Amino acid sequence: MSSAALFLGGAKDRLLPASIPFRFFATATVFHILFWIVLFFAAQDVPTFTGGPGLVLSAIHLATLGVLAMTAMGAAFQLLPVATRQPLVHVWPARLCFWLFAPGTAVLAYGMAQGPAIALYLGGGAVSAGLLLFAVLTADNLRRAGSLPIVAAHGWLSLVALAGFVTLAVILIFDLDMGFLENHQSFAVGHMVLATFGFMGALIFGFSPILIPMFALSRALPARLGWVEFSLLGGAVGLALVALITGVWAVMILAAACGLGASGSYLWMMRGALQSRMRKRLGPSFIIIRTSWALLAIGMLVGAVVLAGAPIPNGITLFGFLTLAGWQLTFLMGILQRIMPFLASMHAAGNSGKPALMSELTAQTPLNIHTVAHFGALVFCSAGIVMNAPLLISIGAIAGAIGAVSFGVFALLLIRKL
Amino acid sequence: MVEEETIGKVWQADDGLHIDVRGLEAPEPMVAILQQIEKTTGDGPMIVHHFCAPIYLYPELAERGWGHRIVPGGDLGEVRLILRRKP
Repeated sequence: MSSAALFLGGAKDRLLPASIPFRFFATATVFHILFWIVLFFAAQDVPTFTGGPGLVLSAIHLATLGVLAMTAMGAAFQLLPVATRQPLVHVWPARLCFWLFAPGTAVLAYGMAQGPAIALYLGGGAVSAGLLLFAVLTADNLRRAGSLPIVAAHGWLSLVALAGFVTLAVILIFDLDMGFLENHQSFAVGHMVLATFGFMGALIFGFSPILIPMFALSRALPARLGWVEFSLLGGAVGLALVALITGVWAVMILAAACGLGASGSYLWMMRGALQSRMRKRLGPSFIIIRTSWALLAIGMLVGAVVLAGAPIPNGITLFGFLTLAGWQLTFLMGILQRIMPFLASMHAAGNSGKPALMSELTAQTPLNIHTVAHFGALVFCSAGIVMNAPLLISIGAIAGAIGAVSFGVFALLLIRKL
Repeated sequence: MVEEETIGKVWQADDGLHIDVRGLEAPEPMVAILQQIEKTTGDGPMIVHHFCAPIYLYPELAERGWGHRIVPGGDLGEVRLILRRKP
């Protein structure tokens, strides 16, 4: 590092070009719209979905890869170097990662919607390569990080889970074409557990103790509770995999108990962050974030009672929807609407030394429309799943698409000011 | 919300209010500085002793009508900033 760079405290090294995080965020907003549109056309099959190719599987991956992982990657590339104080060694691998992952997700989603097998192979290959490149870059940063051990531990857990769910995804794609697995369903559930809880769950739980206090302006969270949550989360994922391999149902119940414990510990930490906050008005983004926390708790409870044998109609599908759309998608939409103006303002400061005001970069009306429409989508789709009513899911998907387009307007207006 | 306690080392000197946030873990340096910004009734200067350039702080400062300038000096590995309320 030059003396000038040293004088700047390495800020330029840790602040990536705006185009890196924003290309991921902008693409996530496009996949967000596509997710609700494909869900609309898949409405007939949603309530009883238990796996297999088709529009539902395609919609799920538009959300998980296109929105959740895309947002997480963009945020991690920008936030991790600042949090760990270790810059990315090179910027070009992050660009390559995007150019593998984004088109790969589109092609894979097309292949899953009963497209040709070659689309599954090409899309799956590109997505896997993008994810593994992301894992290598993140691992390199975590390896050099000396501080924030809880964040680093969650990061490592998410990378181990990433390696696992990508491996299972490749096997599942070959099996969709060739049909050699006798227990495709168990492999698919293992893939889902690793991707949803091991990868995204660990990233959300791991980054929240930095992001939420940063946005709410609160004290650092208690490390002991963070380690309890981390251990329970790791235990839940590990036990769920053991249950799938051995077929012992009691182990799955234990995994669910660990998952409930991890979620409870996490929510207790977030409660502590909000209680110790300095910022009096948290703003509309926290309405969404708090709702996502409520849906995390509801989703985990639904999963536990369904495992225990409670007769909730289409209970497993409801659990999946509440977890993916209710908790994770809602949480990341709340984070995105908070972090995009924040990063944009920071980049404006980097260019001119005079930061643009976050409040001036935030178009609140489209965000308000998104919030109302998104909540409506969650209610209608959940009701449609439980009542086995595709019409309600269609209405929910239309509401979701309206919300997603509104969010896209907010993102477009913001990016134009960069 | 709970009663605030002062985060970081804070002292008044002839050249202004000093706050040393080295040794704090993210995001506490930012919280500590903003805590002092919100407490103060003056326009600065506030001298910040940091371990790196706090890039995430700048949007929050701007939102509150404060500006920043990185200045030379300080210990090895220290980044020193002067904060002032914008006229």
